[in-house]
Amino acid sequence: MSTTSTLNAARPADRGPPAWTHWLDLGDRALAVVLLAPAAILLALIIVYPVLRLGYTSFFSLSLTSGLPAEFVGFENYSLMLEDPVFWETTWNTVLITLITVPGALLVGLALALLANLPFGVQWPVRLSLLIPWALPLSFAGLIFAWFFHSEYGVVNDVLMRLGFEGIIWFNSPNWAFAAICLTIIWKTSSFMALIILAGLQTIPRSLYEAADVDGAGRIRQFFEITLPLLKPSIVVALIFRTITALQTFDIPYMMTGGGPGTSTATLAMYIHQNTVSFLDLGYGSALAVVMFALSMCVTAVYLRAIRTKE
Amino acid sequence: MSAAASPGFSGLLSGRPLRLIAGGVLIVNGMFPALWILFTSLKTEAELTAKPITWVPHAPTLSNYMQAFSDQPLHLFLFNSFMVALLSTCLTLLVSVLAAYALARLNLRYRGLILSLIIAVSTFPLVTLLVPLFEIMRTLNLLNTWIALVLPYTVLSLPVCTLMLVSFFEGIPRDLENAAMIDGCTRMGALFKVVVPLCAPGVFTAGILAFVNAWDEFLLALSFNSNPALRTLPVGIQLYQGEFAFPWPVISAALVVGIVPVAVLIVIFQERVVSGLTAGGIKG
Repeated sequence: MSTTSTLNAARPADRGPPAWTHWLDLGDRALAVVLLAPAAILLALIIVYPVLRLGYTSFFSLSLTSGLPAEFVGFENYSLMLEDPVFWETTWNTVLITLITVPGALLVGLALALLANLPFGVQWPVRLSLLIPWALPLSFAGLIFAWFFHSEYGVVNDVLMRLGFEGIIWFNSPNWAFAAICLTIIWKTSSFMALIILAGLQTIPRSLYEAADVDGAGRIRQFFEITLPLLKPSIVVALIFRTITALQTFDIPYMMTGGGPGTSTATLAMYIHQNTVSFLDLGYGSALAVVMFALSMCVTAVYLRAIRTKE
Repeated sequence: MSAAASPGFSGLLSGRPLRLIAGGVLIVNGMFPALWILFTSLKTEAELTAKPITWVPHAPTLSNYMQAFSDQPLHLFLFNSFMVALLSTCLTLLVSVLAAYALARLNLRYRGLILSLIIAVSTFPLVTLLVPLFEIMRTLNLLNTWIALVLPYTVLSLPVCTLMLVSFFEGIPRDLENAAMIDGCTRMGALFKVVVPLCAPGVFTAGILAFVNAWDEFLLALSFNSNPALRTLPVGIQLYQGEFAFPWPVISAALVVGIVPVAVLIVIFQERVVSGLTAGGIKG
């Protein structure tokens, strides 16, 4: 008991009166270990060990269909990859989807947030309209929009023709298919962006705008000099999250085009999936995944820095 | 809520007609795709292939729903999705409540480091672990089981839920716990009898987010469960497409069935979900 009380004396005062700390004989450190252990075990099993295993497997030739044991091949998977046109195509598609849909979702999301921030008498329909696209599974969104863009019976072509345009056979041409996929992703992801930006908008004190009014600043100027700068922190976080998920794009192109025509709309995630699950070529699949891992770690590093500078 | 702050740009559009237009744009943008799928699911095959296409179904029929359940074991897909989502939500909550409590209440030396680590994991691309997870599940003989999905889904939601709960726990005065402990509660007793009930809204919100995450996941479910009886909804829905035929009304009916459970959750708990999402987003 005497050792415990000396320990307690060394602890910060907000720990509470010594009268009840006697049961803490275990010590905070031991308790912390017990409480954090389940999370640590899960992360070790599902993230840490698999990451190590991923790097390891990428140096082996390991194909389950061949039935041969794993054979160490050094960087062969990586050099194969550099000469693989499908790798370059799917990587380029992934980067292009990221470059188009992230700014696209930001702009649409910003517009939706500004609209949703108007003084509506009833809030729930607006809130619900922003939540439904977020809650809809990506794979469902892919199917729904595949139906939207259907060349014969799709509502998009119906509207185009009513407006006097020609209907488009969306999924026969690489460019139109790619456009349809990007539009779908922007629709699906802009609502979440809007919710984050809306929350940011609602923390901006009204007095700032009143002061700007007194100073004679116009509405447009207020938007660029008050609203946007104050929104920046929430926008940065939302953008980085969106970028990382964009790099992993799989569900929507898989459901809408299956990567076609050819491999013109396939993403890196789809190529990893194909090599792993269809071809059971685990060595090559791992090397591809390492590339994607490196891409997203770069974005995460930027993210952690952005958060640190925020604090 | 919007009366408290009406930022500059929005001031341009404060007239009533403009508000109506804005509301219309938001509602059409958010609801139209789901509504369109609902309309499609009520149409007959004949109406569907009529030109020009109709918007609102002329002779609504429920036969597509019957067919959705009879063509494929849709009830099994629903059951699998529900069980996988429920189990991973419970596991996520249990693990993240314990971890968040340690981070919020114990003065850990490496608190900052652990929090940074959790944030880093929250952005982790689970897709890249497809190969090793596939190998692990294969070695452990867990392919074609719920567990193969429950464990990764738990990890998927764990970081966000933990961060959210840390901030909720920090909002509960320590005196309440201290009082409970003076009354003879153990620290764990105080956690589950005092802190968790007070944080119930936060715990609940974290639970909804975890549930929706698990309900939505597609790639791992597609890769780890090839047994039709164990497929989750997003994977099962693909099975309706034949080699050449795409029975859109039946697929639409199955989609509506899959959307309803989550839509109900969202409608009932919308405010809570919004606050949870935005707290997670802003805090990281």
